[in-house]
Amino acid sequence: MKTNVIIVEERQRAFKSLRTDEISERQKLKVRYHVEDFDVNDRPRRFLEAFAAILKHSNYRVALDHFIRVSAKCSRCATTCHVYQATGNPKDIPCYRSELLLSVYRRHFTMGGMLRSRVAGTGHLTDEKVQKMADSFYDCTACRRCNHECPSGIDHGLITHLGRYILSEIGIAPRALVVSTREQLEGASGNTSAIPVPALIDTLEFLSEDMREEKRVNITFPLDVEGSEFVFFPAVSDFLMEAETLMGIAAVFTATGDSWTTGTGYFDGINYGLFYSDRILERVVKKIDIETRRLKGSKVLIGECGHASRSAKQFLPVYCGGKDAYPVVNIMEYTWDVWKAGRLKLDPNVVTEKVTYHDPCNIARQGWIVDKPRELLKAFCKNYVELSPNGEDAVCCGGGGGTVSIDEIRPYRTMVGGKVKADQIRKSGCKILVAPCANCKKQLKELVEDQKIECEVVGLHDLIYKAIIFDDSLKVSPDEKQTGEEE
Amino acid sequence: MDAWLEFARGPLFRLSFGVMMLGLLRILLLDLYGAWEAYRRAGDKTLPWGYIIRRTLVWFFPFNKVLKGRPFYSICSILFHIGLILVPVLLFAHIQLWQSGVGISWPALPKPVADWLTISTIVFALALFIGRSFSRMSSFLSRKQDYLWPLLLLLPFVTGYVCANMSVGASTYQVTMLIHILSAELIFVLLPFTKIAHCILLPFSQFVSCVAWRFPADTDDAVCTTLNKKGAPV
Ligand code: HEM
Ligand code: SF4
Ligand code: SF4
Repeated sequence: MKTNVIIVEERQRAFKSLRTDEISERQKLKVRYHVEDFDVNDRPRRFLEAFAAILKHSNYRVALDHFIRVSAKCSRCATTCHVYQATGNPKDIPCYRSELLLSVYRRHFTMGGMLRSRVAGTGHLTDEKVQKMADSFYDCTACRRCNHECPSGIDHGLITHLGRYILSEIGIAPRALVVSTREQLEGASGNTSAIPVPALIDTLEFLSEDMREEKRVNITFPLDVEGSEFVFFPAVSDFLMEAETLMGIAAVFTATGDSWTTGTGYFDGINYGLFYSDRILERVVKKIDIETRRLKGSKVLIGECGHASRSAKQFLPVYCGGKDAYPVVNIMEYTWDVWKAGRLKLDPNVVTEKVTYHDPCNIARQGWIVDKPRELLKAFCKNYVELSPNGEDAVCCGGGGGTVSIDEIRPYRTMVGGKVKADQIRKSGCKILVAPCANCKKQLKELVEDQKIECEVVGLHDLIYKAIIFDDSLKVSPDEKQTGEEE
Repeated sequence: MDAWLEFARGPLFRLSFGVMMLGLLRILLLDLYGAWEAYRRAGDKTLPWGYIIRRTLVWFFPFNKVLKGRPFYSICSILFHIGLILVPVLLFAHIQLWQSGVGISWPALPKPVADWLTISTIVFALALFIGRSFSRMSSFLSRKQDYLWPLLLLLPFVTGYVCANMSVGASTYQVTMLIHILSAELIFVLLPFTKIAHCILLPFSQFVSCVAWRFPADTDDAVCTTLNKKGAPV
């Protein structure tokens, strides 16, 4: 998918910083996203210390050693990066971005680099370079699309991930991510949206009532039911912003009668650690394990959220017991399973508009869930079209890598990051864009608004909620509804 | 002159060839050892083998990829590599040298095929060089070695072609042959220490990336201890 480079005015708007000069001056950092105040002295030295500590306790070294030896500098990756496609700035070529960090590694952590610079006396890490990395690693959405195009197999997503981790250790991380994570790990509510448990219970009861009225079925969100098969962790923001998705999920479970529960001890699938710090990633993943254990569940069920799914699927085994860790299931896998088994009926006459499906990078890039949502959609949406390219090769929504949560960079996200996606959506002519991910949905809603595309962005289960057919035995009479309300 | 040629063909060849082989073996072992160490420490020891193998094979049979990305460059690169690898290994004259030196031999390419592959390698090496110089993206990324490698690789191919196919005077022949041998030996020596290391490391790229994503367990504590951040707020 080729796209035009943005025009000058768009560029100015997209890259305009909302931070005051005074703050940039104080923090000695010119980036578009807000950062909490940090120790600005001696940044390069502290960066290297953090780098060394991380290398010591991680597995990055093998990849870095490999990448510095094989990089072919062929610039193929440039043709796949939606950021470079939109800016046309060579500094946005994935290989250039990765070289920022790889060169630091080569110079300071390999024998050859250390010797060569001893002789030449140059090449050590400077403050400007730290600044460059702070900029560059948050321009990238860590979508890893470029990885598929690189003949050398360089994983720029991995490098961006590591670069951000090191930066966060010296205090450079988007405030939006840090503040949410602080609430999740140290705050009273224990989740990124700061939803207290009573508010959660209220919301869920309200939703149940709504659904009973609409569908004449008792659709509930079981809370704290010990021994349930699935313990449910949606992106917690769904409780505030994507109720319809949750309603669809509850409806599916009501139709199948399988046991699932949401734990009031911890009910947040979001894990910003995946975006800026492995240490945070580990702490947050462990909360999921603890809550599932408390509820004696047997599987972890993640809602419609790409990064929540990947961080649990990939890292629960890493941090919580390897082979013995709880299996992680994404809700789309569950719904597909029950539909395939004939336990879920969908009405093919409800959704008539042209529908298309956006693959969240964290779900599709490595081929985890690609066909299942498509099969489901095709089963009840007559007018289904594909975006091109799609699946493992899908284009990022432009808000990946946590950037979607950084509200102050919205112009950048919808003008630069989402440019290719916007063109792609326009070309498909769809009226409903299905994005089974809380992050993608937020970004795509802002994208279609800013880019003036006539298209509704929804989750997969929003549509399933509309089309689901309940067995008559589940229907409640208006009287029962009455008693239900009195309870 | 004869003495020079002898020296280049004999001891110098053995030396440079040895450096190349040992150098390649070294980086291969380092790479695999690193991967093994990482795997040993990984908290999750399951690897997505299907994915790794699939993505590795995509680049061994790159034909379904060439029409995306940079198609012209990709085709040049593939054709360049075919001659580059086949000709030195399967040339009749080279095999004869191995036969007389160590007594082993293998089937050779027919001469016309070898000649055409040599020409194609020369043409596509030039194409790669020119493409790199004129592509805004590539030239922005390129280091010195990225420009020098195609040029250096031209030397043995051009001189080899001259020696095999053109009637030149005896002394010209000898000088050309000396350049041929010396440039090839320079290539051998540089090969493991530059980006050409890819010729042995590339098949492991996907594997290594996947291993690197398998983090060790409980590093939060370890990193905090090392950085003196234990108990620090988020
Ligand atoms: C099994 C062997 C090899 C494989 C699989 C391989 C593969 C590759 C790949 C994937 C690239 C990246 C450019 C592209 O997209 O095509 C590349 C570039 C390159 N390779 Fe190889 N290669 C091999 C052996 C060699 C050898 C033995 C040499 C030289 C002695 C060599 C010289 C080069 C050069 C000079 C480039 C850079 C071309 C440019 O200017 O863009 N390769 N190779
Ligand atoms: S595709 Fe790979 S080798 Fe080529 S320039 Fe990009 S990162 Fe470097
Ligand atoms: S990971 Fe995505 S955003 Fe980052 S460099 Fe690669 S293609 Fe571009």
